[in-house]
Amino acid sequence: METVITRNLSKTYSGGTEALKDLSLSLKEGEVFGFLGPNGAGKTTTVRLLTGVLTPSGGSCQVMGIHPGDRPEKVHLLSGIMTEHAQMYDHMTGMENLMFYAAAFGLEKGEGQRRSESLLRELELTEERDRKLAAYSTGMRQRLSLARALLHRPRVLFLDEPTSGLDPENVQNVNRMIRDLALKEGITVFLCTHQLRYAQEVCTRFGLIDQGVLLASGTLEQLREEVFPSKCLHIRAAKVPEDAGLLPRGPGEYVAEIHETEDIPHLIRKIVEAGGEIYSVTLPRPSLEEIYFALTAGRKEAQVR
Amino acid sequence: MRTAMRAMIRKDFRGIAGNHRLFSTLFIVPLVLTVLVPSVFQLVIHFMPEEAELSKFLDMLPISARLETPEATLSHMILNYVLPVFFLLIPIFSASIMAASAFVGEKERHTLETLLYCPLTLRQIFQAKVLASFLLSMLVSLISFLAMILTVETESLLLTRRLLLPSVSWLPVMLLLAPSLSLTAITLIVRGSARARSVEESQQAAVFLILPLLLLIVGQLTGILLLNVWILLGIGVVCAALGLFLLGRCAGRFTFERLLQY
Repeated sequence: METVITRNLSKTYSGGTEALKDLSLSLKEGEVFGFLGPNGAGKTTTVRLLTGVLTPSGGSCQVMGIHPGDRPEKVHLLSGIMTEHAQMYDHMTGMENLMFYAAAFGLEKGEGQRRSESLLRELELTEERDRKLAAYSTGMRQRLSLARALLHRPRVLFLDEPTSGLDPENVQNVNRMIRDLALKEGITVFLCTHQLRYAQEVCTRFGLIDQGVLLASGTLEQLREEVFPSKCLHIRAAKVPEDAGLLPRGPGEYVAEIHETEDIPHLIRKIVEAGGEIYSVTLPRPSLEEIYFALTAGRKEAQVR
Repeated sequence: MRTAMRAMIRKDFRGIAGNHRLFSTLFIVPLVLTVLVPSVFQLVIHFMPEEAELSKFLDMLPISARLETPEATLSHMILNYVLPVFFLLIPIFSASIMAASAFVGEKERHTLETLLYCPLTLRQIFQAKVLASFLLSMLVSLISFLAMILTVETESLLLTRRLLLPSVSWLPVMLLLAPSLSLTAITLIVRGSARARSVEESQQAAVFLILPLLLLIVGQLTGILLLNVWILLGIGVVCAALGLFLLGRCAGRFTFERLLQY
């Protein structure tokens, strides 16, 4: 089932800034979609459009079959939203904050209490529950915001930089939680971040955005295929025959361009049968970061032309 | 969604109560106006010597306004003509503080966006915020009124061994003028909330309401303008209609995009 759909979604602010241009996406139930790009790329604008607090200048979007612009309150009931601009109350304790939002989401007092306590426990904030938010560190605030977004058991989760300010241990904890929510409860996660390495760890599919334009989208494998159609095999070998088609890179080091992974055994057999000695064969796989930079560099070149 | 709106109103009340600076301002100013100022008036009237100038001033008053002694007449004038004006200032003042905290304060502290992500319509959020500001201003006005009556009557009993009778003018002041001015002050704050960058900046809007009231106080004190119950009732109806009209227009301008402008 498709939970989040955008079709040519665009947003131009009143000052004339084009924050988003023709974004078309479709997210399935239970997937963790990483929406990646630098600050100012249009990620927060997209979340605001999908949650109905901004009106699109063009195109349309749907969350769980509801148009956010028409019924934002219905979308809010089905979504958990965590953005860096959505803070909580400093003069209230962690527990008081959660109880307030539980009531605002229509949870009964007992249910709100149980749910808040369970989320505080899961996010390792139980000891801090009665401390005023003013005394919380950035990481604690982030985790409490995540608890707030999950209070009403949403079907779609919009997370904007959920791990900024978290220490590595808490990043792992939050990652595990996000993966569990998607896998076990079928929650769709729309995760915005500029930390590509982090996204690669937790997301199942990606959308890469820059200056309001979606550069590419798909699984990591699909993106690798799309951006780097030919693969570079790195080989350490000796006595390599000249007709093997290897390009020397250094003493005893060679590269070979292949199109399919099935080409590897043929190539290796050919070298060995011709008397070559092979010490190692590696097929480096481009990371999300390399894919992103290749895409943005390609875009800049196209703009210059 | 009544539970959600009630939670929001309770939270706004707690926000004010938890802010020591705002909370003390909210109580000190009305306390000065309704306890300290009437006490000073009572003492001055009681201990001042009888002068010919004063008798001339009292002779200018309509016969219906004169009582058996100059002291009683003056005390009656203060209670029923001067002090009611303070009860037009108090709702404006308290509603402005609460509305600025509830609308601009949330924006300033980046908590407004979180509130907008709750499953409430924008109109429900607007209603809850206006209601919180209105209820607080009415509560402060009521407490101030009780404090003033207690002070004035106790002092009068101690100094002159008689009670002062509040006139019927208090009814339109407390039941019509105070609520409608409170609503108008709230709408002025909300209208300015999109542009205002701080709570203090947004409160300046209410100054435009206070200025005509200051002129009214001068008029009442100098005896140039003595408003009777019918005039007060008329002004009250006009103010209530204006307050409701402005509130309706203000609700129409309360949009997500305006609220998210930083």
